[in-house]
Amino acid sequence: MSVDIMTIPKKPGETLFGFLMLALSLLLFWQSWKIAGFSSLSSAGVLPLAASGLMVISCVIALVDDFRRPSHDGEWHEFFQHVLPLTVALMIAVIFLFAIMLDTVGFIITAFLFLFGSIQLLHRRGIGKSLLIAAVALVLVYLVFRIIFVVVLPEGIIPEQDMLSAITAWLE
Amino acid sequence: MEALSYFASSWIHPELLALTALGTFLGIYVGAIPGLSVTMAVSILISFTFSWDVNNALCLMVGIYMGGVYGGSRTAILLNIPGAPSAIATALDGYPMAQRGEAGQAIGLSTVMSVIGGFVGIIVLAVAAPTVSEFAIKFQPRDYLMLGLLGILLVGSLSGESLSKGIFAGALGILIGTVGLDPMTAEERFTFGVVELWNGINPVAVMIGMFGIAEALNQLHHLDKTAVKQKVDKIIPSWKDIKKYLPLSLQSSSIGVVVGSLPGTGGDIAALMAYDQAKRSTRNPEVPFGKGAREGLIAPEAANNAAVGGAYIPMLTLGIPGDAVTAVFIGALFIHGLNPGPMLLTEKPEMFWFTVGNLTLANIFVLIFGLTGIKLFTKIVEMPKGILIPLIFLLSIVGAYAINNSIADIWWMLGFGVLGYFMKLYGYQVGPVILGVILSRLIDENWRRAIMSERGEIDSLFVNLFASPLSVTLFCIICLVFISQTPIWTRWLKPRLIRS
Repeated sequence: MSVDIMTIPKKPGETLFGFLMLALSLLLFWQSWKIAGFSSLSSAGVLPLAASGLMVISCVIALVDDFRRPSHDGEWHEFFQHVLPLTVALMIAVIFLFAIMLDTVGFIITAFLFLFGSIQLLHRRGIGKSLLIAAVALVLVYLVFRIIFVVVLPEGIIPEQDMLSAITAWLE
Repeated sequence: MEALSYFASSWIHPELLALTALGTFLGIYVGAIPGLSVTMAVSILISFTFSWDVNNALCLMVGIYMGGVYGGSRTAILLNIPGAPSAIATALDGYPMAQRGEAGQAIGLSTVMSVIGGFVGIIVLAVAAPTVSEFAIKFQPRDYLMLGLLGILLVGSLSGESLSKGIFAGALGILIGTVGLDPMTAEERFTFGVVELWNGINPVAVMIGMFGIAEALNQLHHLDKTAVKQKVDKIIPSWKDIKKYLPLSLQSSSIGVVVGSLPGTGGDIAALMAYDQAKRSTRNPEVPFGKGAREGLIAPEAANNAAVGGAYIPMLTLGIPGDAVTAVFIGALFIHGLNPGPMLLTEKPEMFWFTVGNLTLANIFVLIFGLTGIKLFTKIVEMPKGILIPLIFLLSIVGAYAINNSIADIWWMLGFGVLGYFMKLYGYQVGPVILGVILSRLIDENWRRAIMSERGEIDSLFVNLFASPLSVTLFCIICLVFISQTPIWTRWLKPRLIRS
């Protein structure tokens, strides 16, 4: 049995998100218009115009529906409890930090710090266990991606290429 | 008799047999690891194997292709992260089955149905290749346009509780697909003057973000819940189950092989269409669709593997790729001095029959490797979420980077991951976004070709549509599917039909 959307209470921040999506749709519609306007039915802007127009219309309908749905009081108090709890916000921040550090510090150190930090944060066991899990996971990921599939990962401050060449030369 | 000896050559030569087995085994894991695609693996393999004998190289690549299409279902079932685009539809019911503790059964059933689908595809390739390719070559731009529109109507099935939010997500996906230089006129679309955006946004980055990062962030809400212990004692499905679902499997395989044979459409679209068809044709599923219906698992799995055989038809007979992997395959065949196209079957029939035999062998290996080693694989889900989630994040980041060895793809993936997280929380399903991204180019190019061929007159396009039986058939199917998405069907017609 499908659930009637009108009976589902709104989540904290849902209306604001709807407005943000509407703003995004209007911006994209304007950008689509700038491609070629209504110059011809076969222009490069036709599909973007149609798609962004559809986004605006569907967004307005979704917003109207949302206004008609029941909502709880104290939305913003509940926002950080149900939508963006501290763990989620922290993990998003940690992943962004990972992406920032990856190019300069390199994959091995960044991935190890990421794994250790996030396992400590989410798994909450001893430091030794987290270190071990992070190390084993990193070795496996490195073997699969770097050695088997030859994905060149950013080496950063560790001279990984030189080390691999030295190991290969020694093995030969 | 000659054909049979070519067919069996990869079965009787130990080296070719071993390479096919190795390729299939690797393919299953390549398909299962999010971010690693079969296309990527085959592309990398070309650089390794161009000095090999053509048969050896083909055995490895065919194995990877066949195994990879199947392998994508494993992470879709166990982690709700489709390992490949062709497994998007599998996650819709496969993951709920795993959450109910039926991961072993889901994997077993998907393996057997994938193999059945694979055989249907191979049989059609072998028996009806010339006929099907003749049918496919008759498609005009307006027919491809209608095929794209038919695909986009699947939004209705993937929208969850709110159709308007589903349409929004689908349209967003189409827009994402149009970013970059227009392939027909080289005009910039949504590039904001940034040169790096000329090639567009990689769909794999969108997919990993929306399915990998967004799902993992959502999982953080349920950290305290203990992981569902996976029952892996019933891997091999019962004969009764196979018999029960065989008609659906064959029906989905037929969709898969036809869609797969159309250039530009592959296992991903075939799987979504088969899922939609199964949802419509199954009157009383034991479990509702989207909550772990077996029919919702079987249909896409049979279809995407059947699409492999289908994709080979235009590739070998016309030299046109059926999907991204076959495009890479055509490159590999050229490197080895073969010219795939209408002359291949007459000049080198041995290559055709060798490929058919090799695909059959790889399909058998899918069954063997698919039904063994699952216990170890399902252990992943029993891993505490505090360890599993950081690993999913890491695999997603490395997978996004591996697409082009570019940090920019990681940023795209993260952006779409965070957007997907909020979208999912607020009832906007992410499936339609991916559907839009996949179909965007097909719709865009064929709309413009179709309208240009009618000198920009939309009324001529509509009138001429009724001059072709093929176009009329497609148009009628679109109308029927559209009506089935509207309240007229869901609130009025369907209950009356069920009652009667």
